[in-house]
Amino acid sequence: MMRRRGCVAIVLVGLIAASCGSGKSALQAGMDDPPEAVPVTTMAPPGTAGTDGSTPDGTAVPGDTVETAPPTLASTTTIALLADLPECPIDALDAAGGPVDITFWHGLSNELETSLIALTDAYNASQDRVRVDLQNQTSYDSLIDKYIQSSQDSRPTVVQFPEYTLQSFAESDTLIPIQACLEASGYDMEAFLQRTVDAYTFEGIQWSMPFNVSNPVLYYNRDMFETAGLDPDVSPITLDELRATSQTIVDSGAASFGWVVDNGPDSGGGWFLEQWFGRAGELYADNGNGRLAPATEVLYDSQTGVDLLTFVQSMINDGLAVNVGGNPGGQDGFLKMIDPAAPGAMTIGTSAALGSVIAALGGGIAPGLTPEDIGVGPMPGPSDTPGAQVGGASLWIVADKGDEQTSAAWDFITYLVSAQSQSTWASETGYVPVRSDAVDLEPLASKYITDPRFRVPYDQLLTTVEGEAALSPVLGPQREVRVATANAVAAIFGGADVATSLTAAAEQSNALIQSYNDRN
Amino acid sequence: MADDRRPARRWAEFPLAMAMLAPSAVILALFVMYPLGRAMVLGQQRCDNFGENCVSNGLDQYVDLFRSIEFQNALEVTIKFALITLPLGVIFGVGLAVLADKYLRGIGAFRAVFSSTVATSVAVASLMWLFLLQPSVGALANIGVFNSIFPSVKDPGWLQDPDTALVAVALSSVWANLGFTFILVTAGLQSIPRDLHEAAAVDGAGGIRRFWSITVPMLGPTLLFVMVVTTARAFQAYGEIDLLTGGGPQPSNPTTTIPYFIYGQNSPIRNDVGLQAGTAVLLFLLLLALSGLQLAGIGRRVHYE
Amino acid sequence: MSEIAADVVGPIESIDPDVVDLRGRTARTRAFDEPVGWRKWSRYLLLAILTAIVVFPIYTTVVAALKPGDEVLDNPLLPTSFTLDVLREAWTSGRLGRYLFNSLVVALIVTVAQVVTSVLAAYAFAILQFPGKRLLFVVFVATLLVPAEAIVVVNFQTVDGLGWTNTFMGLSVPFLATAFGIFLLRQVFMTLPRDLRDAAAIDGVGHWGFMRHVAIPLVRPTIGALALFSFLGTWNQYLWPNLVVTEQDMNTVQSGLRLLSKSNLDEPNLVMAGTVIAAVPIFVALFIFQRQLVRGLTAGAVKG
Repeated sequence: MMRRRGCVAIVLVGLIAASCGSGKSALQAGMDDPPEAVPVTTMAPPGTAGTDGSTPDGTAVPGDTVETAPPTLASTTTIALLADLPECPIDALDAAGGPVDITFWHGLSNELETSLIALTDAYNASQDRVRVDLQNQTSYDSLIDKYIQSSQDSRPTVVQFPEYTLQSFAESDTLIPIQACLEASGYDMEAFLQRTVDAYTFEGIQWSMPFNVSNPVLYYNRDMFETAGLDPDVSPITLDELRATSQTIVDSGAASFGWVVDNGPDSGGGWFLEQWFGRAGELYADNGNGRLAPATEVLYDSQTGVDLLTFVQSMINDGLAVNVGGNPGGQDGFLKMIDPAAPGAMTIGTSAALGSVIAALGGGIAPGLTPEDIGVGPMPGPSDTPGAQVGGASLWIVADKGDEQTSAAWDFITYLVSAQSQSTWASETGYVPVRSDAVDLEPLASKYITDPRFRVPYDQLLTTVEGEAALSPVLGPQREVRVATANAVAAIFGGADVATSLTAAAEQSNALIQSYNDRN
Repeated sequence: MADDRRPARRWAEFPLAMAMLAPSAVILALFVMYPLGRAMVLGQQRCDNFGENCVSNGLDQYVDLFRSIEFQNALEVTIKFALITLPLGVIFGVGLAVLADKYLRGIGAFRAVFSSTVATSVAVASLMWLFLLQPSVGALANIGVFNSIFPSVKDPGWLQDPDTALVAVALSSVWANLGFTFILVTAGLQSIPRDLHEAAAVDGAGGIRRFWSITVPMLGPTLLFVMVVTTARAFQAYGEIDLLTGGGPQPSNPTTTIPYFIYGQNSPIRNDVGLQAGTAVLLFLLLLALSGLQLAGIGRRVHYE
Repeated sequence: MSEIAADVVGPIESIDPDVVDLRGRTARTRAFDEPVGWRKWSRYLLLAILTAIVVFPIYTTVVAALKPGDEVLDNPLLPTSFTLDVLREAWTSGRLGRYLFNSLVVALIVTVAQVVTSVLAAYAFAILQFPGKRLLFVVFVATLLVPAEAIVVVNFQTVDGLGWTNTFMGLSVPFLATAFGIFLLRQVFMTLPRDLRDAAAIDGVGHWGFMRHVAIPLVRPTIGALALFSFLGTWNQYLWPNLVVTEQDMNTVQSGLRLLSKSNLDEPNLVMAGTVIAAVPIFVALFIFQRQLVRGLTAGAVKG
C-alpha cells in the first residue's frame, strides 16, 4: 500500500511537470526575445576577408615547406591585432632567481600519458631552470570543463586543448597567442608542416603550438583478412572498397562484422564526418570552414552528408557493419574487434591509439592476437586519394601567470616540439610529428622502416589534396555542434531517415552558432 | 517550555548559545544557504562560457528551462529511474530480510553477504557492474550460457541498448543500495515483538497472513524511511550514470537524469553556469515538492508504536 | 550517503539497535523460528541462490583483479590463474595508496568536525534558553532540504575563489557542519531530565562542565553512529572531489577510481584491481563497526 503511495508521489510530481514541454532546447532558455543582435565588431566584413592572399606582417610563418601549397587561407585574415593581445615575455626566465615551477594540464591516457610523462621527465632532468608539474585531467572533455570552471588563478600555465576548441579559446581572453612568443623569440618554424600551423591559426593569428597531431586511420585484423582470402597488406581506400572488403569478410565467416562504427562526437558521430567532408573536398561550414571569417552555419546537411551517412546506414542494415554506440572512452570500437564471440574486422580510429593498441595486444588482452596481427591503413573515405585534416591537440599558454611562468612555459613548449622530442613522441604513440625534420631523426627514422604502420598517418596528412576544405572546420561552439551532430548520427545508425535527421541537426547547430556569435 | 523568566534572565545564555551555534551557522550559511540563493540569481542569467557578457532574463528563463526538451527528458528519465529503483529496492530488501529472519544454522553468513553491498561506494559498485555488463570484454557477455539465453547482453549490450540502459543502471543502483535496505529492514523485523507472531500463530494465522497483517504494518516507519531515501537517491543519481552510460546511449539519452543533465560529460549546458544553476534550482524545488508530498501524503498513514 | 539527511526527521524509535544482530548469534527463539524438514532445506536453497546473485558482481571483480592481463577474457567465472601483480600495479602506478590516504584524511577531518559542531549546536538548541531559538532551529533544519547537487556550482566558485582547489581544505570545509547531526543529537539531549541540569547548576557546574561530564557521555552511542554516518558519507562523495581536484595526488578514492577507469579501459583487470583495493578498507571497517552501522542507519530514519 505504501509502496504504491510512494510511487504515486513521484508520479504526481511528474504529472505536474508533464505536458508542458515547449519543444525547445534548454539552450534557448531565456532567449525568446533576444536582445538586438549586436554586430560582431571583431569580425571583418566578409568582402575584405581572405581575398587578397597577403600574409600579415608577422614573421612567424616564413616560407613554406615541401609538402604544402603557399600560405593558405588561414593566414590572410588578420583582424584582431596581435598588439592588442597579451604579450609573451620570453626572456624573464633568464632573470629568474631559481627554478620556475609551472603546471601543465593534459587529457591523455594509456600509452600516450606514459610517453608524455617520459618526455616531461626528460625535460625536467635536462635543465634546472624550469620544473614542470604534469597533471592528467582524465580526458579532453574533463580538461576543457575544468579549465572553463576554474578561476584564472587556478588554471595551469600550459594547457593542452583539442583542435575543435580553437575559436572558443582564442576568443576567451584568457590565453596568450603563441604567435606573440614566436615573434618575440624569432623562433624558426621553417621545418614545421605548414598545415599543422594553419590548423591552429584563427583570424590570422597562430594561437597555439601544434603538439600531438593525429588523424583517423583504419585498424584491421590481418588474420581475418587472410582467412577471408584478402591480401592483408592492402586495405580499402574508397568507401566502395570498404563495403566490398566487409562483404568478403562477412561472407567468408572470418568475422561477424566487416566494419565497427561508433557515433561518439569525437569519432564516428562528428570528427570522422568532418574528416570525410575534407576528403571529399567539400566545406563543412561556411566562410571557408570558418577560416576566412567566423562561421555562421554548418553545411553538412548537403547531398554529400546525406550520401555519406546513407552509406554507413546501409552497411549497418545489411549486417556488414556494427555500431558500438557513443564510445565515451574511445576504445569500444577496438574492444569490439577482440570480442571473443562476435568480432568485427576493421574500425576507423585515431592514429593516436596506435601505441596503446599495440601495447594492449602485447599485454595479451586478446588471446591469440599479437600486436603484429593488427594492420593500419589510411582512413577509407569518399575519394580515391588518402587524405586527412589535422586532428589531435595543441599547446596553449595561459595569460596572467607572470613573466617568469610565461617564459618558462615557452621554454617547455619549444622542448616538446623540438625535432628530437617529436621524433620520440611520434615513434611511441602514432601521432604525426609536427615537423618534417623529426622524420630523419632516431628513433622515428627507424620506426617508420621497421613498423610502417606508424608512418600511415604522416603520409596521409602529406597526400591531402590542397583546397579550402583541407583544413578542419572552426566553429565557436564546435563541441556542442559535434554533440548535436552525433545525436543525429546515432539516430541515423539506428535507422532514422538520413536527410531529415541531418537537417534537424544542422538547424540545431546553426542556432548554437548564432547564439555563440551573438555573445562574442 | 513556557519559561516566564525575566528579560535579563532570558538573554543570559544568549552569548553562550551564539558561540556554540556559530561554527555550524557559519558553515551552513556559507556553503548551503548562500550557494542556494546565489544559484537562484545565476539561474535567471545567460552568460558566455567564461561567465562574461551576462544577460538577465528573470523568471522566464526558469520557465523556458523547465519546458525545454532536455529538462523534460531528464525529468522523465529521473522519474522512471525512481519508479524502477523504488519497488525493486523495497521488494528485494524486504524479501531478503524476511528470508534471512529465521533461526537457521549459518544464517549469520547469509546476513553478512546480503548487507555487504552497503560497503560499496557508487564508484566501486558502478565499476563492478561496468565490468559485468560491458558487451565486448565484460563478464556476462562472455559466459556462454548466459549469452545464449540473453543475446542482447552481447549485441548491442544492455548499457548500449536505449531500451534497456536505464533498467541496467537501475539494477546496479538497486544492488548497491541492497545492503542498506537489508540492514534497515532486518533491524525493523527484529524489533517486532515475537509474541505478536506467536499469538497470531496460535490463532491459526499462517506465515503469509502474518506477513501482511503483522510484519508489514509493524515495519511501517522503516519502509517509509527506505522509500524516502531511495527516492531521494534516485533524484540525485549521478555517479552510476557517469561511469556506466555517460547519460547515453545517444540520441535519446535515456539515462540522463537531472543531476547528470547539469554536470554530465555530454550535457549541452555543462559550460553554461546560468543554465546549470537554473536546473539545480529546479531540482531543489522538485525534491522539496516531493518531500512535502511524501511526508504529508503517506507519513500519516504509517503505523507507529 | 549524505543525501539521506535530506529527508530525515527523526529516528525510528521502534528499533533498538543494540538488539539488532546481523551476525545471527542470538537471532530467534528456536522453537518458533526454526524451519524444519523440507522447509528448512528449501530455505537454504533459496538463500544460496540469492547469495550467488548478490555476490556475483563482487566475485567476477575479484576474479578479474587476480588474473594476469592475458587471461581476463578467458573465463570470467573461473580463477584459472592467480597473480597479485595487477593489484600491485593498481596500488603503485594507479596511485590507489595515495587516494586511500587522501580519502581517510578528508573523511576523518569531516567526521571529527561534524561531531564537534553538531554537539555544540545541539546542546545550545536542547539545553540553553535564548530568544529566537525556535526560529533559528527551523532555519538550521531547513538546510537539510537542499540537495548537494543544487549547490555544487556555487560552492565550487567559492572554494576556487578562496584558492582551495586541490587542498584538504577545499575537500572538507564545506562539509564541516551538518544539520542532520545537530538534529539527531538535539533529540537525544532533549531526553536529559531538566532537573539534572538544574541540580548541576546549583552545584556550580557550568555548561561546559555539564556538557563534558554529563551530556556527552550520555549520547556517546549516538555520537558513534553520527561519526560512522559522516565518515561513510564523506568517503563516498563523488561529484565534489571530481570538481575541486585537478592534481592527481589530491584525488580521493572515488575521483581516483574514476580517473583510473577512464584512462585504463583497455586494461579491465587493472581497473577491477583498483576497485577491489578501494572497497576492501570499507568492508573491513564496516565489519568491525557493525553495531554503529546499524545505529547510524536507523538513526537516520523518519518519523512523519
